[in-house]
Amino acid sequence: MKKKKQSIEEMLVSDSSQNEDQPAVQAKRSKPEVPSEEVVYHPIKLSRNDLYRPPSAEELNQLKEAESLFHCSLLKMQMEELLKEVVLSDRRRQQIDSFIGKVTEHLQTVPTSPKVEVSDLSWLFGSVKVPFLLMPKATKGKFHMTPPASISLIGSYPLGTCIKPHIRVDLAVTIPAEVLQEKDFLNQRYPRKRALYLAGLALHLSSSSEVGTLRYSCLHGNRLRPVLLLTPPGKDSSSVTVRLHACPPPGFFKPNRFHPERNNVRTEWYTGVQTAQPESSDPPTPHYNSSVLGDLLPRAHLQFLSAVSSQCSAFSDGVALLKVWLHQRQLDQGTGCFGGFLASMLVAYLLTTHRVSNSMTAYQLLRNSLNFLASTDLTVNGISLAKDPDSSAPSLAEFHSAFQVVFVDPSGHLNMCSDMTACTYKQLQYEASLSMQFWDEPTIDGFHCLLMTPKPMIRTSDHVFQLCDLVKLQSTCKKQNLLNDLMDLSGNYVQAALPFILSLLQQGLGQRIHLLTHSLAPDPEWSVDSEAPKYKAQLPLSFGLLLKPELAASVLEKGPAADNPKAVEFRQLWGSRSELRRFQDGSITEAVLWKGESVCQKRLVPQQIVTYLLQLHADIPEASVRHVGGIDDVVKTGSEVPTTGEEESLAVVQAYDDLSRKLWNLEGLPLSITAVQGAHPALRYTQVFPPRPLKMDYTFFDKEKTSRSLIPKEGKPCPAYITPITVICHMEGSGKWPHDRLAIRHIRAAFHIRLAELLKTQHNYTCRACPSHLDVWKDGLAFRIQVAYHREPQVLRESVTPEGLLVVRDNEEAQQLEMATIHKPLLTSTLHGLQQEYSCFGAVCRLAKRWLASQLFGDDITEDTADLLVASLFLHPAPFTAPGSPQVGFLRFLHLLSSFEWRNNPLIVNLNNQLTAADYTEIKNGFMASRESLPVMFIATPKDTKSSMWTKRAPTVQMLQRVMTVAAESLKVLECQLMDGKQIQDVRVVMRPPLDAYDVLIHLNPKQVPLLSQAVDPPSVNFSRGVTAQGAAHSGGALPVIDYNPVFLYLSELRDAFGDLALFFCDPYGGTVIAVLWKPKAFAPAPFKTSQVSGRTVKVTGNEAATVPNVEAILEDFQVLGKDLVKSVEAKTDKWSF
Amino acid sequence: MAKKRASGEPWVIPGGFSVLSLQFSSSSSSRHCLYVKEHKVRAEKSKHRPLDRTLFLVNIPPYCSQVVVKGLFSQFGDIESVELRDHPGSSQESRPTISKLFRPPEKQGFKVGYIVFKSSSSLQAVKSYPFDAPLVVSTEERPVKTGVQKWIQQYSESFIQPDRLQQKVDNFMQNYDKHKEEEAERKKKEAEKQQEEDEGWVKVTRGHKGAKARPHSEAANEKTLQKEKRKKKRKELLNFYTWQHRNTQKEHIAELRKKFEEDKQRIALLRAQRKFKPY
Repeated sequence: MKKKKQSIEEMLVSDSSQNEDQPAVQAKRSKPEVPSEEVVYHPIKLSRNDLYRPPSAEELNQLKEAESLFHCSLLKMQMEELLKEVVLSDRRRQQIDSFIGKVTEHLQTVPTSPKVEVSDLSWLFGSVKVPFLLMPKATKGKFHMTPPASISLIGSYPLGTCIKPHIRVDLAVTIPAEVLQEKDFLNQRYPRKRALYLAGLALHLSSSSEVGTLRYSCLHGNRLRPVLLLTPPGKDSSSVTVRLHACPPPGFFKPNRFHPERNNVRTEWYTGVQTAQPESSDPPTPHYNSSVLGDLLPRAHLQFLSAVSSQCSAFSDGVALLKVWLHQRQLDQGTGCFGGFLASMLVAYLLTTHRVSNSMTAYQLLRNSLNFLASTDLTVNGISLAKDPDSSAPSLAEFHSAFQVVFVDPSGHLNMCSDMTACTYKQLQYEASLSMQFWDEPTIDGFHCLLMTPKPMIRTSDHVFQLCDLVKLQSTCKKQNLLNDLMDLSGNYVQAALPFILSLLQQGLGQRIHLLTHSLAPDPEWSVDSEAPKYKAQLPLSFGLLLKPELAASVLEKGPAADNPKAVEFRQLWGSRSELRRFQDGSITEAVLWKGESVCQKRLVPQQIVTYLLQLHADIPEASVRHVGGIDDVVKTGSEVPTTGEEESLAVVQAYDDLSRKLWNLEGLPLSITAVQGAHPALRYTQVFPPRPLKMDYTFFDKEKTSRSLIPKEGKPCPAYITPITVICHMEGSGKWPHDRLAIRHIRAAFHIRLAELLKTQHNYTCRACPSHLDVWKDGLAFRIQVAYHREPQVLRESVTPEGLLVVRDNEEAQQLEMATIHKPLLTSTLHGLQQEYSCFGAVCRLAKRWLASQLFGDDITEDTADLLVASLFLHPAPFTAPGSPQVGFLRFLHLLSSFEWRNNPLIVNLNNQLTAADYTEIKNGFMASRESLPVMFIATPKDTKSSMWTKRAPTVQMLQRVMTVAAESLKVLECQLMDGKQIQDVRVVMRPPLDAYDVLIHLNPKQVPLLSQAVDPPSVNFSRGVTAQGAAHSGGALPVIDYNPVFLYLSELRDAFGDLALFFCDPYGGTVIAVLWKPKAFAPAPFKTSQVSGRTVKVTGNEAATVPNVEAILEDFQVLGKDLVKSVEAKTDKWSF
Repeated sequence: MAKKRASGEPWVIPGGFSVLSLQFSSSSSSRHCLYVKEHKVRAEKSKHRPLDRTLFLVNIPPYCSQVVVKGLFSQFGDIESVELRDHPGSSQESRPTISKLFRPPEKQGFKVGYIVFKSSSSLQAVKSYPFDAPLVVSTEERPVKTGVQKWIQQYSESFIQPDRLQQKVDNFMQNYDKHKEEEAERKKKEAEKQQEEDEGWVKVTRGHKGAKARPHSEAANEKTLQKEKRKKKRKELLNFYTWQHRNTQKEHIAELRKKFEEDKQRIALLRAQRKFKPY
């Protein structure tokens, strides 16, 4: 009863919070799928009695422990919770057990069929097909179906290391010995019989009602090892998958037959060509051998692991954690993966070699496993679980010569990592060492980074490309003469060509990358009544590059000197692109020069290299290589050389540096300048479209005679928008400054006039002094200088009470002044520094802000906030590394926006690394203590640990919720599109906001929108905007129209007039629509009050007068206020007519 | 529901306001309502708004400037002054010397206005004006600029000659200095006055010129208080008596308990949000 009441109260609370002041954006658009709003952290209040009751000894111990191990114990508690989430419940186990029981029982009743030739499939009636690619077709031997010799559980389920959500139960079905023949290990005879046997089982099971769906798959993508997938019938069919493996009877084949240097697939049989060569010269078939051997050993492996597990109580939990870790890094599935089996074997290895002790906890097991992975290179120093291998077992060196990664099983004959590429292992190693790095970092939430954050390739790698036409790899095999590998891998040309391609790329990209990763081909799945899919039907192979930012974009590949013996090698690699070049230092060397003028073109150098090398050496045409990217298109400008703003930003910064120097050196100022600071995004490389130097066409404008200034002409299109770049100029403190706000304001105006005069006379700049600022027209750019006096905020805060007491009170005005003159310049210079450290910081900011603006969130997540959010991606990248390309940075920005838990966490941006771990704790505690009174989005920086000044004004809860929803959706769409080769790449999809959610749309006349050309979808026609094509203006000349944008002026008028009735949204970069959202609260009839009648009409009921908004008149006002700018006002809803 | 009103009649709503309708131009299809009433305040001190001749109106649309309002209402009688404000309130006499340039920018929203007519009869004329005959803001004779036209005008008006600006600054500063001097003079005089009252007695007060008085400010007061507190604390004995020692220990355990409970709750909260589901 009580509980019920509480939940109702909660509902009420959440309801009313939505209706507060702002419109219920969230309620309207997002499904209430985010319950997080309801669960709120309240600082606990223990009663006095509870707090001060005498402690028991046990409690005292517990408390002391928690005190000394705080960081650790929290992590431990979190991991325990995680394990609860992933481990199977008893109820579930019972369900599965009963299903297995039924299946086993049913399998025993497989009818026996007469003995036939293997190629004779007449016994296999119905639509069931054999899960095998017959290449070549010819097979010897006889086959018949009989009931299995034994059926037993293997793998993770009986071991207890099976975890949710993809529960797979492995069931080994032993093929009776009479079905097999002694020589069946040769020439794929055994694998074919295995496939036939599975088909027989499938045929039998398909008639059963106990089984839901029947599908084929194959183990880790190995076509020699098909498996049959069963699901229970009915509604829980997706909860569990049973994999049927067919196995030979234990000990049927001798393990030494499968030595990695022996041949078991005859060339003669495989190619079908008779050769005179003796059998002994056939090449070894290590992969084939290990796949047959792998079928022989699973029971032994289970026994071994069970024995280990019974010794160590935390074994299964430790393995489960390791599996979660692997899953988040997409390393646990597909061909050549480091799956759950290997994870168990690794932990077992650590336990049996006494690197970890049996008494360790799951947490310690995970830590030690990662530490081992990080420090051991299995591509060079393989490890073996075999205690005392028999003499016939191969040595580690023999394994190394056959396989890239070596981890030998307890029998000593099987390399469990036979399919793994060296690249995959390097990736694993890299991930492990990265995890170890931030495990102990107290400022990082280790639990979250290690186990909770997924790391898909598209969000991890700086550059991603895909091989789309996998058929083309056949020609690679042909070109590189990889027949032996093809034979070994039973014709899997993708697997055969992959190591070659990887080593080629590694060689070509060399110093440019930290890491080369590739996607693991997922296990194919197909229904029992269709043929096994061909290799080319696989999903495209994806490759990811982790770039070294300082070298990746270099256009020159300098090789060895011409007479160096290595030059041949170099020439071979680069082919005709390699040419002899003479360098300034006098050396003459081989070199390759790639195309690229602007930064954004240089960023594509790795892409050029990849395409070129694949074409040259692997015969893969350019069209089959799909480079994922193109997001930065939306901030691209420049007609001749496309750029993404780096060059323009640099030009602006240089112009500013020049101006600043000139200001410092001005002679004749009454007080000296103490600081000149930039306070504009363009001066920290993060302006979405950095201002470009312009030259005005005077005939386009009217002229103001007295001040020699241009003025927009009525009837012409709105002139080009010239952004004023804010510069703060601090003046020396002096006794002469008055101690009065108005007087300071006047003195400042006098300074502006004086500066204008001096700049005009000493440097011939056109200036315009206003009381609040001074505009300087310099080399085609407009700078807005504001003189600041450091004591002014203090003066604004002081007031004298009637009693004559001097009181200091913080107020809005003082805060804003401090923001403009102190905090903004500081932020600008800090982020400017960040750009020097991370070259793509600015580009990511620009993309992020372009997205925010296009989704009409520009006023809620302000530019400064967005820059800080992006800065946090670079400063605290864990579990990733700092973004190395704009694209990956942008994707992570969207992920941050969509997944960060703002309700219960502060986002700490440790600029300049000034905060210590103790500061972090302090910030978090302070945040928790006063959560309710703090901004919804709380961002702490070293200079601002308590108040989150940048997000104080916006966003509101509702808008933040909306931003999160849209960000999540955008991320989903974008990643899907980028990774799916079949979709048309149009990244602009995520920049087109859904407009149907708004109540009124005000369509603007494109003629009067000065930034029209920056729109997401640039219009085909553009207007002349009074700018001449050639070059930048020189100093002097008339002052152009600065900071005149009708859209901004209109918006500010609208917000002034109707701010309490509606919200107005607009894309500042060339948006031609203003979206209006009524505030529901304003539409409820309100009693007539003189302070609340703006834009409202009155209704009289009896003796009471109530007001409601006069919507018709307001809509007309929209037209009137924006005359010539507004094209039409479109009311989409009739919400007011209730 | 609103009662049906006969045409040509004024409309007075409860609360005493008469409703006038207003449209932007003769071609407009919808109208705003202006609510007018004679200005009535219990204690109006200002001479600017004589009670019997002042009309109070609310809900003036943003495009109606002072001039427009004057034009609209001059049909009811000669107007002495028009005052437009963001919010109703008593008129303050701000320092008249500040030029418009140095004032913070005005809000361009709906306004309230006070119109002072020359004669009080005009008030009645306004109040009996029929509801269904709208006032028209922008007419052929008196066009009102809005939108792009207005912004261009604003832009060109924002220019000010440096010497004129300088002039203004100089004027203000002269005034300011004079004001300052007067203030200083006054203070000095006051001090002198304190020096010698009649009969040779000197009244001793704080703020004697020459003697250094404690600054009279909040911060200083606070500082003194802090100092006192610190002094007190220094003298206090900690963990001296057994009961004090016991108390400290008790507090420590209570603190630990609180922390532990907080952690537990934090975890519980995260669990409730399914924050431990890794994928």
